[in-house]
Amino acid sequence: MAEKRDIEINSRADTIGLMDMDVRPYPVTPPPPYEQVKPVYEKRKALEFCEWAEENLKFEKRYGKDESLSHLRVLDIGLWRLGHKFATSLFGEAGAECVSIEPPGGDPLRKLTPFGREEYLLENKETGEKCGMEFVCETVNTHCITLDVETAEGQEIFKKMASNVDVLIDGMPPGYMDNLGIGYRQLKDANPKMIYVWVGMLGQWGPWKDKQSKFGQWELEPFASCANSWVHNTGLAQDLLPRGRGGDPTRSGIWLADYVAGAQAFLNANAALYWRDELNNTGQMIEVTGAETLLDIIDFDITWYGFNASIKGRSGGWDPNLNQYAWNPCKDGYMMIGGQTDKLWYNIGFCLERDYHQFGRLIHEDPFLKEVGARNALHALIKTYSVTTRWLRDQCRVEAEAKLLEYQLAAGPVMFIDEVAEFPHFKYRPWQYVQETDYGPLLIASSPASYQVRAPFRCKWMGRDLGADNYEIYMKWVGMNQTTLNELKQKGVI
Amino acid sequence: MCDIIWCKKEVDGKDCDTINYLDPYYFWNWEGTIACAECGTVYYIYMINGFMYKGPDERPGEKPDILPLYADKPYDGYSNYRPGVEGRTRPYQCMPRSWLTGTADMVKFSVRGRPVRGWRPQPPSAGLAGQFPYNWDIQKLTPEVWEEYQQKLSKGEVKDW
Amino acid sequence: MAKDPRVTRIEDLPGPKSQGEMDEMKMPYEEYCKNLFDVGNEHTKPEALKGIKWLSCTMYIFTPHSVANLAELGAKVVKIEMPRMGDAMRHTSPFNECYLYPLHDTRPMTGTGLGFTNANPNKYFLTMDYHIPEMVEVFYGLVKKFDGLTELYRPGTLDKWKMSYRYLSEINPRFIYVWGGGFGYGPKIFGGSYDILGQAHAGLASVTGMHEYMGGHCTKQTNWVIDWQSGNIITCSILAAIHHRRKTGLGTMIEFSQVQVPTRMLGHTLPMYGKFGIVRQRWGNWDTQLCAHGIILCGKSDFPDADNPQDKFDARYVMVSAFQDADFKELCAITGMNDLYEKYKSHDKRVEGEAQVEIYGALEKWAEDKSRSEVAKILQDAGILAEPVRNDREVYESEHFRERGTVRWLDDPLFGDMLVHCGYSCGLMEKTPRRINWHWRPVGADNKKVYQDWLGVPQSTIQEWYDKAWI
Repeated sequence: MAEKRDIEINSRADTIGLMDMDVRPYPVTPPPPYEQVKPVYEKRKALEFCEWAEENLKFEKRYGKDESLSHLRVLDIGLWRLGHKFATSLFGEAGAECVSIEPPGGDPLRKLTPFGREEYLLENKETGEKCGMEFVCETVNTHCITLDVETAEGQEIFKKMASNVDVLIDGMPPGYMDNLGIGYRQLKDANPKMIYVWVGMLGQWGPWKDKQSKFGQWELEPFASCANSWVHNTGLAQDLLPRGRGGDPTRSGIWLADYVAGAQAFLNANAALYWRDELNNTGQMIEVTGAETLLDIIDFDITWYGFNASIKGRSGGWDPNLNQYAWNPCKDGYMMIGGQTDKLWYNIGFCLERDYHQFGRLIHEDPFLKEVGARNALHALIKTYSVTTRWLRDQCRVEAEAKLLEYQLAAGPVMFIDEVAEFPHFKYRPWQYVQETDYGPLLIASSPASYQVRAPFRCKWMGRDLGADNYEIYMKWVGMNQTTLNELKQKGVI
Repeated sequence: MCDIIWCKKEVDGKDCDTINYLDPYYFWNWEGTIACAECGTVYYIYMINGFMYKGPDERPGEKPDILPLYADKPYDGYSNYRPGVEGRTRPYQCMPRSWLTGTADMVKFSVRGRPVRGWRPQPPSAGLAGQFPYNWDIQKLTPEVWEEYQQKLSKGEVKDW
Repeated sequence: MAKDPRVTRIEDLPGPKSQGEMDEMKMPYEEYCKNLFDVGNEHTKPEALKGIKWLSCTMYIFTPHSVANLAELGAKVVKIEMPRMGDAMRHTSPFNECYLYPLHDTRPMTGTGLGFTNANPNKYFLTMDYHIPEMVEVFYGLVKKFDGLTELYRPGTLDKWKMSYRYLSEINPRFIYVWGGGFGYGPKIFGGSYDILGQAHAGLASVTGMHEYMGGHCTKQTNWVIDWQSGNIITCSILAAIHHRRKTGLGTMIEFSQVQVPTRMLGHTLPMYGKFGIVRQRWGNWDTQLCAHGIILCGKSDFPDADNPQDKFDARYVMVSAFQDADFKELCAITGMNDLYEKYKSHDKRVEGEAQVEIYGALEKWAEDKSRSEVAKILQDAGILAEPVRNDREVYESEHFRERGTVRWLDDPLFGDMLVHCGYSCGLMEKTPRRINWHWRPVGADNKKVYQDWLGVPQSTIQEWYDKAWI
């Protein structure tokens, strides 16, 4: 129990440290105990299976299990973006030996912090070095080294390292590595078994290939999701909220295309490794872009254009394909309600009618809305959701959820991160937990691939000081001794 | 009354009896005047977090700031005004095409003019247990579409892109 | 060495040894890449996952997509659907308008909706009511021959039918078994899951959309992104498990919950809450960590006379990025905001919330009398990064995606002329490219192929099963 003390808060800076995990331990309420979960299993007569599942899949057992890709060596080079970093993190989570190269000045991503506030940089407890949270989160199980590949010595060292890796992940601008003589075509003879993966925004070739500004600034997300219609298609319609006040095309809150590209980079590289190891014994080059990997999963949108020249528009929290399947505002936030088939759709009404008597008269008795396909029509959505929200405005999310779940409906609140962190099921799994890092304890998300019988993904560490692993990695990977390394450091090569 | 304005204005000796639906996102926090889709009566409303903080109060003679997107009359067999009825409901512009039917679009040719199997009915497979082959013998199965395609070809209406 | 020291022979020099290699080394990099990936000739090259065979008892988008990745990479994938019904996703189509016919031999008036697109290419479509006792052995026969299975039933369902990992691993110890769903073991284990629930529940919606003070609301990502991306990460897990099996000879079970995926992609959101107690909010079209780096509204549409409302009303947005000092200086100079440059010279100043409000406000004011393409051109000509926000038509018409083959027409074997934007777009591979053979096939379209050609079931038996609606 933390000691009570008097504090004076005059500015935001005075609050830093008051919220840290030793003062405000996580979680606020403990996760539900097994005794509380067991009746859930029993109720569906699945106790035996669920106990087997917990026994064999449990997150807490991950460190005792094998790692699937521990035989691989992965080298990553890149700046600014999360795509190549997420791919490397996935390799790291699966047990590969991952090394990430930064220039001696460091990846600028290390300096990024919300609203430029330095007090939200993480500080290494031992060295005092600071680092942005975004960088730390996407450097899972990755060794950090520095190297200036623009120098001749740096290039020689890079070549030696690359000649011994299974996967090289290139997150630099198009042709950058090639210009330096250390791209795929120069390296592939020395290491014909290497999988070379370029990860970018739009491409290293083609009319819209990745650009830099006149001053050398990089293209970052959301450029990728603006190019593939994703941003155009997201957001509220100008008919449902005025343009300029929310009724506009909207970007994702995260650098979405980077994450999709990172996953596909990992996935394609693993397929190429399979082909190499099982079938052909040679490596290859792969090119993955955020714009295109997100285009792969942009539902049916482009195919739809080819069918009858439809151009998808925005529909906000509503899904244009289903009624009901949406979230709408409620008393304390937003509530998602889903139920499309007649049975579920009427159940929503029966539930809402208990508080709001007009619902049935307005919705269920309207002959147009009785047919499942027809009620997806635009005016039917407007009517249904207006009246549903009339009910929702009187309900808190938790009340609404409890009432709807009584009717076996899919319903869930839009949750903010503090609520996510305390959601009982998420804590039980746990989907977020406190990981001890060089920056002290951090609340992080666990890998969704952590729940496996044999070789689950896992985080062992995240984030490193700039060049933290220089001595170890250069010794092991190129046989460089510390004296040489120190000399190169002096010269600014490392 | 809140997310709907049920207009009871007497017009020609009869209640207007029309429900004007206030769509949830636009009006969640909103102040201004809105006209009934049926009788045109202008109401002032001031909504805060979905609650009618003030109104609806009639404002005779004023011009409305906005029209509803949708309105209907439950006591008149749910007759309705859909979006974009001039002078009654405001248009809905954020659509994938300028026209929507809401029913299956019978499409025989893609946007570049080549056949696509987007119409019904289609002949069965004639194979064992629902087996289909790896080709679509359009000339044999639907000769009339094949003929139409030949005409498109000769007219140069079939493009590569 | 050549006899005459003044003669330089190519073979004595480091680097390329033949004229061909020389040409390759000298080729401009773009051309080199283009040749390497050789777009359009995918089918003449080998398939990365040749020999892998996968079963899929899946529906909707999430789990089918996890298997579609394998099918695009060359694995042989069998999708098992319930007889005559098929995947529920087949009945989903935007505004109820777009269907391809037929759905099944017995249902000529019903089609498969475009909602089914992209999650099911290259799969073989089998029907089997695998939970009836008569078909269990047939199902086991498939398990013996296949490498793995993906399923999406409520936990314990396949266990009751003796088809869970516990049972199948005894039949085939190399079997890799994937369950994909919403929640997995724990108090909400039986909770149903949708993409939209994942977006809402796990924090993604809370950071997407315009800020409250702008009048905005939490906004859904346009696509079923959590379904799709969860599918991608399942495929990542499957491939890692295949590598693990190469080393150990053992299969595994993967329990995958899609509701968890958005939280993993929230970056600094979770540690910031944990360490500083700060609950991240929506920040609209701007960036919380970079400025200027946001999407602005321009005064005029690029296509005011177009018939399609998306072209007519919405070709008005430009993504502008000038967060580095020199870029920001130039941006301010070209848009007449020099006072703002003086005020916000350093990045940590201009990325503050109030500064962002002021900067983007001034930019939109500047763009008020301009069209989208004018704004983009003025900024691009000044050397600044700026791109229009494009719509589906512009993606279709983009020379970039055409040249790279990531948007292309497919003469689908059964359904004819269809645009493809999946598969090829997942990544270009030099030696084992992904490919799309067909979009999808009707329910049970490969019954004869699988039951007769692969399993050796006599035709009369297949007919009998079909008549009894077992398949």
